[in-house]
Amino acid sequence: MPTRTDPATDQVPEATRAPEAADRRRRRPAWVPYLPYLLPGAVAFVVVIGYPFAMNVYYSLFKWRGGMAPMRWNGLGNYSDLMGDSAFWTSFQNSVAMILAMVVVPTLLGLVLAAVLFDYLGRRFGPRVAAFLRATYYLPQILPVAVAGVLWNWILNAQTGALNVTLRGLGLDNPPNWLGDPDIALPSVMLVLIWVQVGYPVVIFMSALQRVDPELYEAAELDGAGWWRRFQAITIPQIRPETFVVTLTCTVAALKVFGPIYVLTRGGPESSTLVPSYYSYLNFFDKSKVGYGAAIATVLTLVIIVVAVVILALQSRAERREQEGR
Amino acid sequence: MLRSRKISIVAAVAALPLALAACGGSDGGGGSDDQTLTIWHYENEDSAMGQAWAKAIEIFEEENPDVEVVVEKQTFEQIQKNAKIVLTGNDVPDVMEYNKGNATAGQLAAQGLLTPLTDAAAERGWDEKLSGSLQTTATYDEQGLMGSGDWYGVPNYGEFVQVYYNKDMFAQYGLEVPTTLEELETVMQAFADQGVTPLAEAGAEYPMGQLWYELVLANSDREFIDQYQLFDGDPDFHGPEMTQATETLNSWIQSGYVASDSAALTAEDMGVSFINGTYPMMVSGSWWFGRIVEEMDADWGQFNFPGNTLQVGSSGNLWVVPANADSPDLAEEFIDITLRPEVQNILAETGGLPVAGDASVITDERTQQLTENFQAILDEDGLAFYPDWPVPGYYDVVVSELQSLINQSKTPTEVLDGLETAYVDGKADLLDS
Repeated sequence: MPTRTDPATDQVPEATRAPEAADRRRRRPAWVPYLPYLLPGAVAFVVVIGYPFAMNVYYSLFKWRGGMAPMRWNGLGNYSDLMGDSAFWTSFQNSVAMILAMVVVPTLLGLVLAAVLFDYLGRRFGPRVAAFLRATYYLPQILPVAVAGVLWNWILNAQTGALNVTLRGLGLDNPPNWLGDPDIALPSVMLVLIWVQVGYPVVIFMSALQRVDPELYEAAELDGAGWWRRFQAITIPQIRPETFVVTLTCTVAALKVFGPIYVLTRGGPESSTLVPSYYSYLNFFDKSKVGYGAAIATVLTLVIIVVAVVILALQSRAERREQEGR
Repeated sequence: MLRSRKISIVAAVAALPLALAACGGSDGGGGSDDQTLTIWHYENEDSAMGQAWAKAIEIFEEENPDVEVVVEKQTFEQIQKNAKIVLTGNDVPDVMEYNKGNATAGQLAAQGLLTPLTDAAAERGWDEKLSGSLQTTATYDEQGLMGSGDWYGVPNYGEFVQVYYNKDMFAQYGLEVPTTLEELETVMQAFADQGVTPLAEAGAEYPMGQLWYELVLANSDREFIDQYQLFDGDPDFHGPEMTQATETLNSWIQSGYVASDSAALTAEDMGVSFINGTYPMMVSGSWWFGRIVEEMDADWGQFNFPGNTLQVGSSGNLWVVPANADSPDLAEEFIDITLRPEVQNILAETGGLPVAGDASVITDERTQQLTENFQAILDEDGLAFYPDWPVPGYYDVVVSELQSLINQSKTPTEVLDGLETAYVDGKADLLDS
């Protein structure tokens, strides 16, 4: 982790300044020179995120059909209805599955793949091969979600999909109904999400691995440490900052996920793949319950903020421990 | 150091317009004066409607040489989901195709997003051209319920659900076209005995719901339908009409008349598999007619769902005029042109089921059969609309509950419980506002 440099002060040195009292008025806080650079970002934040979010919270306090229909005050009624809504709780349960499919598995898998690509394939076949393979792993992230959805439907369709046609050809008479059986649909969607998500950790971790000082590995090798021991003791602690970044961004993405669900199963079959953002969308657009949909979106946002804060707190604590010396 | 900083600033400034262009969507070239007529619709150009409307545009352009006609193609999903938001703005079309029913056009009407067309209908004689049940879907009251109130939309065509069947496969097994429900079940059993699943179905979209509703209609009268669709009373979800229908459908699924893995199939899957001869029968709408004519190689025919007086069907989609439209007069003129004989007869010839056309001009035998099937229903005032119409969002409920039936994960009683809960809640919400 690079050490932070102190911001350059442009204040006159202590010794030559006028008396203290008048001084305090003229001494600007250190962050003032940065203001012009922060302003565009702040404006964008307010316009794109701040104001719409405030409007969303406002709408969640009303019963509203949308468009030009009248808005009727409902206080926290929408929220208390949410607490009793089984579809809402189902969607959060499915979010846990999403976290498994978009955070845990891709991070672990990504770490292993990055290590293999960097340590082994990169050394053996050269950096170009490693870079090419990295790009192919990242390709699903670039593919538009709608295209990915059509593609996976061609593979997973119960009657005409490539997978089931192959299984029938191999003699399996009743191949599983990948997207139509409520018990199997969620794992199928999770598989697609892993495929989509794994490229992102691979790319991040490969660049992180380049940062690790090779002398550490050599020293460990001289001391007799095998590959797995070196991986555990050196690689993982060294790339901790990247691990936190990947975990944080993937968790937020997992809690927000919408596109793949919409394209593959529309929350079905029998609501087994319902997720909070899709449920909010259904309420907004299908059922015309804008206030209720806004309440779902607000709760989802709060959950994400809490999770993000927890992860960031864990990260600061880990950094602090490292700086104090383990 | 300084020079590289200058270069990077220049590069950033140069990239700014590209970034802005990337994140801003296109503004749309819609005109905003009386010299342009903007039309939105979501029908295929080759379909009956597409061809008829092309003719209507031609006539309009001849009669209004100064006006530019701009057609923007949409998709059904886009308009259904986004209309409520889009129509509150100012960048709206002058005339738009929209889905009929309480949950769709009714909603827009209740929110004041559509121009009432009652006066135009009286002046131009639209109310005389459209008969009884076809007018039900054109008028909506202040709560957005169809059947009474001002005119908000004008249909050009009708649609209904019938049974398409593969004549070659019927001949192969020596089967006749059924005329009653029992005969239909006998035919289906004959196919099942030979290892052929008789019905092409799709659990992820509308087809399964329409099959279920056909069975409900087999046991219903107009009074029950008025309760269910028009809120004329409270329909009993555990009464004989619905219970018998759900139990019959359940036994059909158990007997293998409907494929057990069809829960996630879409309407497109269903149609394609019927066309390529995997299934001998398909219970679906007149909107498939043109495509089956084009693509099916085997000999095929059509018959109304056997034994029913009431059938699934309604007026077609409506032309509506948004409240914020720039040229409502041009819009009304266009609508009037679409009801003229020249345009309606194109609908008749191409199998588009016109509301005001002349069936005798039809030369093609199959198109004539289709139109006669529709006319038979109209003669008995048999149009009973669609199962997902009564409350907003009911489409997803029907799909989900019937998926449970296909997967055999819920009993018919549980399915009816689910349908009832959503209906009652949705109705309370609808009438509450």
